[in-house]
Amino acid sequence: MTVSEPKTVLETATALEARGAIVSYGKQRVLNGVTAGVRPGEVVGIAGPNGSGKTTLLRAMAGLVKLDSGSVNLNGKTLDEISPRERARQIGYMPQSAADHSFTALEFVLMGRYPHMGLFRLEGRSDLSFAENAMRRTETLEFANRRIQSLSGGEKQRVSLARLLAQQAKVLLMDEPTASLDLQHQLLTMATAREEAMNGVAVAVVLHDLSLAARHCDRLLLLNNGKLTAEGDPWSVVTQTNLRDIFSVDAAVEPEPISGKPMVSVLGVTGEGRGEIGKSPLRVHVICGAGSGRDLMHLLTLEGHTVSACVLGEGDADRKTALRLGIEHIASSPFSVISLDQDSAHRRLVRQADIVIVCEMAVGPGNLRNLEAAAEAKRLMLIARPEGAHWDYTDGYAGRVQDELETRGEIVNRDEVVKSVGRIT
Amino acid sequence: MLRTTVRKQRGSIAASSVLNRLILGAVVLGIGLLAATLVALSTGPVAIPFTDTLSALLDWAGFGESSASNTQQAVIENIRIPRVLLALGAGAGLGVAGVTMQGLFRNPLADPGIIGVSAGGALGAVIAIAAGLAATSTLFLPLFAFIGAGAATVIVFMVGIAAGGRVSMASLLLAGVAVSSFFGAITSAVIILTADLEAQRQMVFWLAGGIEGARWESVRIVLPIVLVGIAVLIAFARDLNLLLVGEDEARSLGVRVGLVRGVLLGIAALLTGTAVAFTGTIAFVGLVVPHSIRLIIGPDHRALLPLSALGGGLFLLIADTLARNVASPVEIRVGIITALTGAPFFLFLLIRQRTRTGLL
Repeated sequence: MTVSEPKTVLETATALEARGAIVSYGKQRVLNGVTAGVRPGEVVGIAGPNGSGKTTLLRAMAGLVKLDSGSVNLNGKTLDEISPRERARQIGYMPQSAADHSFTALEFVLMGRYPHMGLFRLEGRSDLSFAENAMRRTETLEFANRRIQSLSGGEKQRVSLARLLAQQAKVLLMDEPTASLDLQHQLLTMATAREEAMNGVAVAVVLHDLSLAARHCDRLLLLNNGKLTAEGDPWSVVTQTNLRDIFSVDAAVEPEPISGKPMVSVLGVTGEGRGEIGKSPLRVHVICGAGSGRDLMHLLTLEGHTVSACVLGEGDADRKTALRLGIEHIASSPFSVISLDQDSAHRRLVRQADIVIVCEMAVGPGNLRNLEAAAEAKRLMLIARPEGAHWDYTDGYAGRVQDELETRGEIVNRDEVVKSVGRIT
Repeated sequence: MLRTTVRKQRGSIAASSVLNRLILGAVVLGIGLLAATLVALSTGPVAIPFTDTLSALLDWAGFGESSASNTQQAVIENIRIPRVLLALGAGAGLGVAGVTMQGLFRNPLADPGIIGVSAGGALGAVIAIAAGLAATSTLFLPLFAFIGAGAATVIVFMVGIAAGGRVSMASLLLAGVAVSSFFGAITSAVIILTADLEAQRQMVFWLAGGIEGARWESVRIVLPIVLVGIAVLIAFARDLNLLLVGEDEARSLGVRVGLVRGVLLGIAALLTGTAVAFTGTIAFVGLVVPHSIRLIIGPDHRALLPLSALGGGLFLLIADTLARNVASPVEIRVGIITALTGAPFFLFLLIRQRTRTGLL
């Protein structure tokens, strides 16, 4: 497991760190010796399945839960050595959801200033400008005078964030701050966390959306059963193995097109959780190309079938999908003619399959052998080609192969393929 | 556009808004208090013209010569001023105790009596009367009532703590209900088993709550306790705001939740116990007053607490003046007046609020 060091001037300083934290609720041990921290200038994501101890770790770091053993240190001092008021100036905590009450949004945000105010002192001009600025950043100014209890869940969450920002703490701990937000405000919230980090604040965020966490955090902590099971940059934590072992899902991890950060596509549940899906798994072989077999391979995998594919050239959209889904196929160089070796390997896959599906891809000299191999199928299904489509680039030879295949196989509409395969036992 | 809206509110909403609301409320309630005091001092079996009352007041305070007769002067100084002050003190104590309980329990129906204070006080008073001690000295009854109130509170706290680990609000509430019923049952038993009809009458009379026993010595005990108690509660006003918002928020914003809860509950119990000891059980002051004021000025305890003190005093003073005068020469008990006016008003608030949003 590699831990990436964020390149900041404060590289060595750990703002807030839990050391060997053990927490129990009654007899239930929820945190089982976790050592993890957050440094100034970085956004750390805390992820893990339900009940893994994410919230408890965050609350322990905020000083909200009693530790059975271990400690939480803020710049070298344990939280017990710091007065609650001083702690509140250093560490801000945003709970998962805010309770209903009749304070207005502005009054609520101003409460973030309480740790900075003397006894019997009322909010001054500077407190108000902190609050106003925080509300502008979270786009909550428009309901400054509405009562909290009249706001929607997402609006409340944004007002909570404004309260946290107004507190001007050096460490921000947020528990699922995006849980009830729409896409726009999810991004706004994560961007705000990033801005704070760029100003030297240490930010730790509990997120259950792994893709969101991977995209916006510098470092991820992965918890399972109260233990830290992985820690490091998003690519080292969000892996197919971790998703299978910890979240019990089969998933593909690929670069998110814009940020290049890992993005999770869940394919299905592993093991026991699978239930109805895949009652009678078959070996299904898909002959495709240029993206014609993408969704078919995906859907058949979801159904629990063991899928294989034909000879696919590098760069072919279907090849990418096959790689992502871990589907067995024969690789070739782009736009080259299928060699005899490749062809015989392909024919072996065709013979092993319970059923072979021929997609409506275009056929030219390069991939003609893919089509011809279908003749060895035990059972054949051909996807109906659209009327009048031009697909044969072999001067009619491929057309004759296709006609021959059609006499032996079943012709099925594209949207009925998966159902038809499901009927086969 | 939005920017300008908030700019405009700059002065009013935050920086001085708590203060503005507090000052405005204090002026309104202050005028009410002065008027009610004047009426209370002037009315009764011996009617005194307002001008004479004023000059008698000034004379008592050390300014000028009273135009009232000696009898009138004596009635005002020895009977009516202590009675007004006791009504104000007890009402203020009950009012702030109500606000505190509602904030701590995050429950709009929490009443100062909810942690068993009133039931304990009642039992103490009834025992003092049954034992014949109340007849020997006027301070025995309040002393016993206070001991009873204290005992009930301690029991409720211990049970609440034992049940919840630390001070658990839910178990406190339930323990309060149970202890109240238990003490109430013993009180009823003591009343029924008392053979002396006069003593029995006195007990029922005391239970209905009244301020007619007001003397300067009771005022000298009640007022300092109430004033100090209110001052301490106001010092915790911000903490109470945070506790109302949520325990996590309060803790993370620097409130020592356990300590603050203990102190606030203790003071609320002390104020309620003090009021109960000298005035009997007076219901609804701690419910009606805080809710009405919260409705007008909002939930911020920095304004709500002081104004509930003034409002509670005013409410109890008006109720007592009514109790003295509506069926003159017979006095209706003030506890009856507060319940008769308070209960319907509270029901009205309940219906009104339910159709909008929550109560707190």
